[in-house]
Amino acid sequence: MSVSTRDWRADLKVFRERMGGLSEEKKAWAKAQRQTLKAISDALKQGPMTIPQISAAAHLPSPDVIWHVMAMKRYGKIAEAGQSGDYYLYQLREEA
Amino acid sequence: MTKIKSYYDGLVLGAGIAGMQAALDLAGQGFEVLLVDREPSIGGVMVGLNKVFPTLDCSSCICTPRMAEAAHSERIKLLTYTELIAARKQDQGFAVKLRKKPRYVVEEDCIGCSKCELACNYYTGHDFDCGLGARPAIYIPHGNAIPQVPVLDPDSCMFDGNCARVCPTNCIDFTQQAEEIEVTAGAIIVATGLKLSAMDAKKEYGGHEYPNVMNPLAMERVQSSNGPYGHILRPSDGKIPHSIAYVQCAGSRDKSIGVPYCSRVCCMYALKQAIMIRHQLHDAEVTIYHMDIRAFGKGYEQFYRRAVAEGVKVVKAKVARISEVENQDLNLRVELIDEGGRVADIRHDLVVLSLGTMPGWRPGGALPIEIDEDGFITIPEMATRPANSSVDGIFVAGVATGPKDIPDAIVEAGAAAMEAAMYLDRTRSHEAVPA
Repeated sequence: MSVSTRDWRADLKVFRERMGGLSEEKKAWAKAQRQTLKAISDALKQGPMTIPQISAAAHLPSPDVIWHVMAMKRYGKIAEAGQSGDYYLYQLREEA
Repeated sequence: MTKIKSYYDGLVLGAGIAGMQAALDLAGQGFEVLLVDREPSIGGVMVGLNKVFPTLDCSSCICTPRMAEAAHSERIKLLTYTELIAARKQDQGFAVKLRKKPRYVVEEDCIGCSKCELACNYYTGHDFDCGLGARPAIYIPHGNAIPQVPVLDPDSCMFDGNCARVCPTNCIDFTQQAEEIEVTAGAIIVATGLKLSAMDAKKEYGGHEYPNVMNPLAMERVQSSNGPYGHILRPSDGKIPHSIAYVQCAGSRDKSIGVPYCSRVCCMYALKQAIMIRHQLHDAEVTIYHMDIRAFGKGYEQFYRRAVAEGVKVVKAKVARISEVENQDLNLRVELIDEGGRVADIRHDLVVLSLGTMPGWRPGGALPIEIDEDGFITIPEMATRPANSSVDGIFVAGVATGPKDIPDAIVEAGAAAMEAAMYLDRTRSHEAVPA
């Protein structure tokens, strides 16, 4: 496996400038996403929950919750924990 | 800098199932082929499907071996994330100008470890999952992607460098820019596939408004084991749906939205998806509202009868309006044709709009070929030369000429490859041209 010697830190600075920097809109989007992920994680610290239960606990709309829960599941932060009625339960993964 | 020869016998535009088949058939006859796709992976629409009709075979199990074969063929050069700018006919073949978009990853150095993808902390909607699933700013397009190389999306990148920090080969290259590539091709095969008509084309169906109104490709992903949820769930709240409706002709056979033709595959994919829902959710009620069922292909009528036998309700009706009611359920106001036109309000958990099939790419001025009024590529002699465009040397396969199912697209790809091979033999000796 060969490793390139390029200076990615210097390249990243140039790239960021070339792309117009980090706009206020993008910062706000990133902040909102961090808050949503944190709110979901905090809710799940109480134990396994369904999407409507997370939505109620985190005060977030359920379509937002399912989208972020599925993102967290895909990238290993949440796992399924059985079923409750018509809904699957989700829980934080221990290592997450 | 992309390493590429200056001459290829065949240029195939679009690496979906038709494009791959055409490329493989040409390569199998000894021709050198450049296979180009605008997406970061080959495979087209088919690699994202769950099953195929009428056999219910796994779609990616059919598609991925062809992807691997195309990628490993010594006579096929893949160029992904690349678009055609223009092709101009000249004395010997076509002068072709392409634009390779920057991945910000050096393909040759990447080992496909996914560490960059896992290190990125911000998510956005993943097109492969029709927005229902998420992906980070840097991502490998999907599990079966070829090449297994990530692509960085600057629009969702926070420029924190996490991806480059964890890359074991230092292959993230923030200096990459779009690259113009010029080649000469002896012949061109256009296999640019399909896109669906817009979800908001019929505002009365609420496709642009209600989360539980889905398009059929989104349902394919939801049904797939590697889909965004891993189960069939509603996008609004993760509920397991018990009552699912399909609204046929929701984007076809309708002059008012500019799609007057029949999209040919909607009846069959709706039946297929309905059967798959019944297989996965045994107590689910699936209703297909249709004007008429067009089961025209080999084994299709039997497939329709199988769906009915397995409990799928097929109702001749016209859906006038879809409204969201409490719990984000959906109310369908329908005119039941077989009940003398009685109007009924019927409630469902989830609705799939069987949207129309439209050309996936319009050449504009990039290719000097004629286009039909509906945007599909004109075939002047459809009965006798179904793969020949209006320009000698440019051939067409798959949905680029009009809506069709996968078997027809594959057969047409074979015809396009054969026509291209005969054209190449007629116009020049491919062995005489240096690599």
